[in-house]
Order: sequence, then structure tokens, then C-alpha cells
Amino acid sequence: MLELVLGLMALGITTFGYVLVQLANSSDIPPDLWLILAGVIGLFVLAHLAVRKFAPEADPTLLPLVAFLTGFGFMLISRLDRDLARVQAVWALVGVLAFVVTLAVVKRIRTLERYRYTFLLLGVLALILPLFPGVGEEINGARLWVRFGPLNFQPGEAAKVLLVIFFAAYLVDKRELLKEGTRRIGRMSLPDPKYLGPLLLAWGASVLIMVRQKDLGSSLLFFAVFTAMLYITTERVSYLLVGLVLFLGGATIAYHLFTHVQERVSTWHNPWPVAQNEGFQLVQSLFAFGSGGFAGSGLGLGNPTTIPNVATDFVFSAVGEELGLIGGVAIIVAVMLMCGSGYRIAVQSERPFSKLFAAGLTTIIGLQTFVIIGGVTRVIPLTGVTLPFVSYGGSSLVANFIIIALLIRISNDNATSTAVAANLEPTGARSDAAPPVRRR
Amino acid sequence: MNRGIRKVGGAVTVLLLVLVAQLTYLQIIHADKLDNDPRNLRSVLRDINRARGDIVSTDGEVLARSVASTDGSQFDYQREYPLGGLTAQVVGYQSFVIGNMGIERSYNSALAGRAAELRSLGDVLRGKETTGTVVLALRTAVQRAAADALGDQRGSVVVLDVKTGGIVAMYSNPTYDPQPLAGHNTQAVNDYFTALSNDPAKPNLARAYQEIYPPGSTFKIVTSAVAFDTGTATPQTVYPTTNSLDLPLTTNVLKNFGGATCGGTVFESFVASCNTTFAKVGLDLGDKFPPGLERFGVEGEAPPLDVYPGAVRNTGLEGADFQTDAPQFAFAGIGQGTVATSPLAMAMVAASVANGGVMLEPRAATEIRDQDGAVVQRFGPSPWKTAMTPATAQALNAMMRTVVERGTGTRAQIAGVAVAGKTGTAQNSTGNPHAWFVGFAPAEAPQYAVAVIVENGGTSSGDNATGGVVAAPIGARMLQAALTP
Repeated sequence: MLELVLGLMALGITTFGYVLVQLANSSDIPPDLWLILAGVIGLFVLAHLAVRKFAPEADPTLLPLVAFLTGFGFMLISRLDRDLARVQAVWALVGVLAFVVTLAVVKRIRTLERYRYTFLLLGVLALILPLFPGVGEEINGARLWVRFGPLNFQPGEAAKVLLVIFFAAYLVDKRELLKEGTRRIGRMSLPDPKYLGPLLLAWGASVLIMVRQKDLGSSLLFFAVFTAMLYITTERVSYLLVGLVLFLGGATIAYHLFTHVQERVSTWHNPWPVAQNEGFQLVQSLFAFGSGGFAGSGLGLGNPTTIPNVATDFVFSAVGEELGLIGGVAIIVAVMLMCGSGYRIAVQSERPFSKLFAAGLTTIIGLQTFVIIGGVTRVIPLTGVTLPFVSYGGSSLVANFIIIALLIRISNDNATSTAVAANLEPTGARSDAAPPVRRR
Repeated sequence: MNRGIRKVGGAVTVLLLVLVAQLTYLQIIHADKLDNDPRNLRSVLRDINRARGDIVSTDGEVLARSVASTDGSQFDYQREYPLGGLTAQVVGYQSFVIGNMGIERSYNSALAGRAAELRSLGDVLRGKETTGTVVLALRTAVQRAAADALGDQRGSVVVLDVKTGGIVAMYSNPTYDPQPLAGHNTQAVNDYFTALSNDPAKPNLARAYQEIYPPGSTFKIVTSAVAFDTGTATPQTVYPTTNSLDLPLTTNVLKNFGGATCGGTVFESFVASCNTTFAKVGLDLGDKFPPGLERFGVEGEAPPLDVYPGAVRNTGLEGADFQTDAPQFAFAGIGQGTVATSPLAMAMVAASVANGGVMLEPRAATEIRDQDGAVVQRFGPSPWKTAMTPATAQALNAMMRTVVERGTGTRAQIAGVAVAGKTGTAQNSTGNPHAWFVGFAPAEAPQYAVAVIVENGGTSSGDNATGGVVAAPIGARMLQAALTP
């Protein structure tokens, strides 16, 4: 019930915004308002009912936050480009269906753990698929796309989820080894080289993605998420240090090898001298934020379309311009709340795999948000990834819906096992160091 | 693992908070700078698509207004400039293609209704559009007189209100029609702008405040004032009667205009515009000269001017050292050498004599009115520098009056009004000497000051191409126009 009420409130906000967008351009209430309203409420209710049916004990905050961000994104896209909005509406439907199917099919999260190598295979396949001639397509200098007939999508988005499943299962398997296998050098304790294999593998994969697909953002994201998961498993800072060294090494090599990396870095360092060419997007984005100020120009009243790719990579700049600091912070807070729920689910979970998996999925959403918003606000060099749920982009939207479905599934598992545990062992103090107890 | 999850969660939260901090920086702390960056078209686009206040002259003529756009473009309004080139170099233009200029730029926030003074809380809450009307000190009758007086000759005229610093007329020829620059077709605007910029006559150069020229003998006002105020000379100090002056450190000599022999008191040398006397005064001043120039705004900062892009900086002795650059001090004494001033700056010099030594900030706008005609902001007289003591101003007033009574400036006389003035015929590198006249009237109770320059003596030539012959009559015409209510 809480979920339904929160979700409808979130949709109320975005529908109101949708009306404002229309009113900014004409004095009429949009004729398709009822259709849109019915559509978004219908989709949300569908997702809500799926949760009620398949995961009734799940955390009630995730879905309303998703509804808020997705609705917000749809409202913005419809303001920026009507045609893209129509496509995005279809993708939202596909996303919700994927959400429902995921909840229905993945009855228990440990089923996933069992098929770890299948997921690894699928994940790697998804990563390299765009490289095959015939199916792969290069858009905006990055080879991320696969085209099947009229559909094109980014399999990298699916690979994110698939590889996190594998990482979680693999790391849980090897965690005793990884925790113990250290070698002391002075006061530092470093991982034994023979246990660095997985880290090096992940690093190699990220570098490969970067080199072959020129996709800096995803590469950074993969590596950071993997390092975070490795750290959660071992709780050893030394892995973070090794990860950092590897990252800096890879970044340095990439910087020297690729002109587009150098360009991104120098544009980030000082975009003003190249404001009319390489730095155009970033400078326009900064202008959008500056002109937006505290409260923004108002929906439909700014000029966010002066920024190229505003509906995808730069959607947050449009938020900054038209809804100001208030709107931008609202989005960031929504993501923070979502991450908070995700990590809470991870902490509450008893099975190490679920724990690590939930933490990994949540870290993807949090870091991806940081990478893209940090890029458009000049905190870090710009790399093209989507803003979860908000940016235009079907593959990303569907993948993120699946992430939330999986988090909701884990949350429901937690609740039901706690309920069972409460019945069986009332004092049930549990520690994650204890070997996993198999429960019905 | 929970400890690890909490730490990673904490790290992600910190990263997201870094974003909030950066957003705060971009949207609050740094916001004005980003919003007003000339490369940020947003404010220009925003302004061009809404009503904009008028720019009007003191005598009530509309110099700029917005009307409904009929060109079928995406824009709702079209800016119009009814007087075209006559006021272009003051009023400027509003262009979303090349950016705004002139009053259109310096008073943009008032015209667009964004100035805080124009917006009451009630207006903001009701979403009421408020635009400001900018009233200029300009009088179109005087401005027209300036255009008529210059005719086809290249040059500038500046008329200042002595008591307020208000710019009553500021015109330079050639000028340009600003209307095409306010157009909505990017290509057409760019083509027109390129043509203007490539025109060798430089019609879009606002010569009156954007160009500097050697001021020649009109600068003897400054030399005299500095000499009197530093005790270097008095009006009665006697200088040798000669036809040339030996310059120190060189074998060069400085000759009088036309090789004439002159000299005597500073007073009589001023009336006859005797070069040798004032070159010698420049040498006598020595290192006291540069600080005196700064008191007149000739060295140091450019004069403040509320017409974008502002007044050009004048040049004086520019760090010259008397020990090594003495000849430059002699040339500076007669307004030659490294000294170069804008016509506006020379009008300010004349106005400061007329105003008892106080140099006011020149001001194009006098007030801003809201849509109901109520004055929301008034720009009062604002002193910029104290150029000289009242006693020195008094002495120069008498000297300048005598110039027009019986000296080089007799052609600046107006029947029934005592005019004070100084002529100049300035050597330069572009051809014939520039003809100058600066002055004010009425001499006993000054109201208006004027500066006139006719580049290269205009259509006159030979002995007639002097300040006294070419520029002084224009000065008289301007003062008469200004004094005619």
C-alpha cells in the first residue's frame, strides 16, 4: 500500500511537469494527457501488482523511486524531442515487462548463483557482440550497438547485470582464499600475486572494452564496480590500492595511446579555449547550469537543445537549466535513496551471494550516476553513459528495470527468510562470517 | 561483508554529495558568470523573445523600440531603430547573432525587465512582464545639428551637460544603420556585419569614444592647468618670444605653427596658441607632468562610460622618464607625441574647466522608468576626478574666453553668448592635421561643453585646414543648438 501511494505521488509530480511542458509552448492542456496519464499509471500499477504477487514482502521504496525517475525522464525527453519520447514510451513498456518477467522467472536469487558460468559466457558475448561485423554498429565514435532489423540496442547494458552475477558468485566462492592470501611487505599487506588473477582479468576486460569499443564510461564503471565488490568480499584495503594502481596504469596507457582520451581529459581540464569545437558540448552544458541557477528557467522555458545529445548523455544539464539546482538535487537525492535501499537490502541479506550481488547492482546505479553527472558538470572527464532511468535509451532503461527487479527479489527473500528464521530461531543473531545456513 | 558494504555505500554517497557541491558551485556561486558569458546565447535568446523597453531621448523621441515580428521567424518581437545611423553609436543594437552593443547592452537588464528595481514581489508572483524604459540625456535636435555640421567630413562631436555629465550629443561620421544587425536571419546579419567590419571608412567605429587622436593645441588647457596647480607657472609667467625651441638630448628643434614668432605670458601664448611656450612648460613640468595628466584621465584608467563597450583609454606620457625622454615632455605640452585622447575625453576636459575643476563621469542615460512611466532609477552627477583647483579653472575660463574673443577661436563666437574655447590643429600620421575645437558656453555660467574633431581638416585644405577655421564654427553651432531650448 505504501508503495502504491508513494508511486502515485511520484507520478503526480511528473504528470504535472508534463502538463507544464505543454503549457510552456501553447495555452492548451495536451490532448494526449489522459492517454499518457493512463499509460504511466497503468505501467506503474502493473509493476506494483507484479511486486504484490511475486515479491509481496519486498522493500516498498524502490519502485516509487523508479517511477519518479522514469517519469521525470519521460517528461524531460518529451520536452526535448517529441519523437524520442514516443520511442522511450515503448521502451518503458518493455522495461516494465522485463521487470515483471524477471520477478516471475527468478523465484529465488540463488538460482542465478548456480548458472554463474553461463552468465559469464553470456556477459562476455554481449560485450564483444558489437565488434562483430554485420551486427555491430558504430555511433558517435563508440562501437556499442547491435542492430537486429529495426531494433538497435547496447548489449553492454545487459553485460553489466550478467557480469555482476558472475562476479558475485565467483567472489563468494573464492572469498576465503582471497581474504587469506596476502603477503606482507613492510607494514603493508598486499594480496598474493596468484590471487590477483580475477582482478587482472576484470582489468583486462575493461581495457579491452575501452580499446575496442572506445567506451570509456562503461570501462571505468566495470572496473570500479568489480573493485568495490572485491573489497566488500575481502574487506581488505590492499585490494583497493592494487585496483587503484591498475586503474591509474590503464588510464595512463589509454591517455598516451588514444587521442580521443587526451581530448576528453584536456577538455575537462580547461574547456574554455576549445569552447567552439571539442569543448562545445561541455561548455554549453555548463552554461545551461549557470543559466538555470537556483530555481531554473521553468519547464519548457529554457534552451537546453543548444547542447548536442541533450536527451541522452546530457539530460541532466536540461534538468539543471529548466528546474535549476532544486531539480538537479532532487534527482541526486532520488538516486541516493535508491542506493540507500539497495545497500540496506544487501546488508539485511543473509546469503553472501545475495549480499554481494545486491551491493554490486546498487553500486552500478550509484557509480553510473556519478560518472555521467560528474562528466556533464566537469567534476571528472566526460564519458558517455546514461543517467539511470532518466536518459533516453532503451537498453539502459530495460537493464535498469531488471536491476531493480533483482533487488526487489533479494529484498523479498530477506523478508521471508527473516520471518521463517524468526519462527525457527527467535534469538537468531547472525553474522556474515558464519557459513551460510541453508533455509527452506 | 557488512562493513565493506557500508563503506562502499558511504563512498558512493560521498561521490553523490560531491555532485551536489559542484552543482551548487555552478548554479549559485558561479552562475552569474556562466549566465552572462557572451558565448552563452541563452540570455540573448530569452531577451529577444520577449517584450523589451524603449530607449528614448530626453526630448521624448523614441530611439529604439520593440514591435511584433512579421518576418515569420521563430521570434515574436522585432527591434526597431527609428533614427537609424544618427544614434547608432550610442544606442547600439540588439542582435542574437553577434551580441548586443551600446545602451542595448549596458542597460540590457533594465530593458529586458530583469533589473531588481523594476520587479516588485507582486509582479514576480503574478508573472507580470515588466520592462524598463531607458531615458538618455541625448537631445535629438542637438544630435541632428552635429550630423548636419559634420556633413560628409569624417569626425566626431561630443556635447556634455556641464552640471550633470549627461551626454547631450555624441555623433561621429561615418555611421551605420543598426537595423539589419537586429534582423532574425543569421546569414544576413553576419554578411552585413562582415561588410561593415571590412569597410575601410570604419562606419561601425564609434570614433567619439572608441578612437584616440593627438589632441594638438587643445591639450594646452591640460598643460596650463597642471603648470598652474603645481606652481610651475602662472598665467603671467613670461616665456621667451621665439620661433623655435631647442629640444634637450637631441639636435631637433620644435617650431611654431607656420614658423611664426611668438611668446610672452602664458596667457597671451594660450590665446595665440604659441607652441614654443607650452613645449617649454612641458619641459619645466618634468616629472610633475604625468601625475597631472592622470588627474585629467589622460593616463591611467579609461574614462567610465555607460555605453558598451565603454570609452577607450587615453594615452599620456606612458611611463616616459624625464631624464631620458625629455623631448616627449615638450611634445606632450602641445598635445603631440605620445599623447592621444578621444573626442569624449577632450569634451570632459572642457567640461571640467567649466565645472570649476571637477570632472564628472560622462553618462548617456539619465534615468530608468517602469512601464507606468514612474522613475525607478536616476543617475545623478557623479564626480570622477578633480582635474584642477577652482582657481585654476577660473584662470583657464578667462584664457579660453579670450581665445574666442580675439585669439585663434574667433569663429566660435555666438551672438549674445560668451563662448570659451581652444582650437587645435594636430599633426598626425594619417595625412593633413586634425582640426579640433573644445569649449563651453555661456562662459560666465557654463551649461554645455563641446569637443569637435574633423579628421585631417575635412574638406578644407592648406592654411584653412585648422581648428580655428574648420572646427571652431562647428563648435559654435553645437553650443548654440544645445543652448536653444
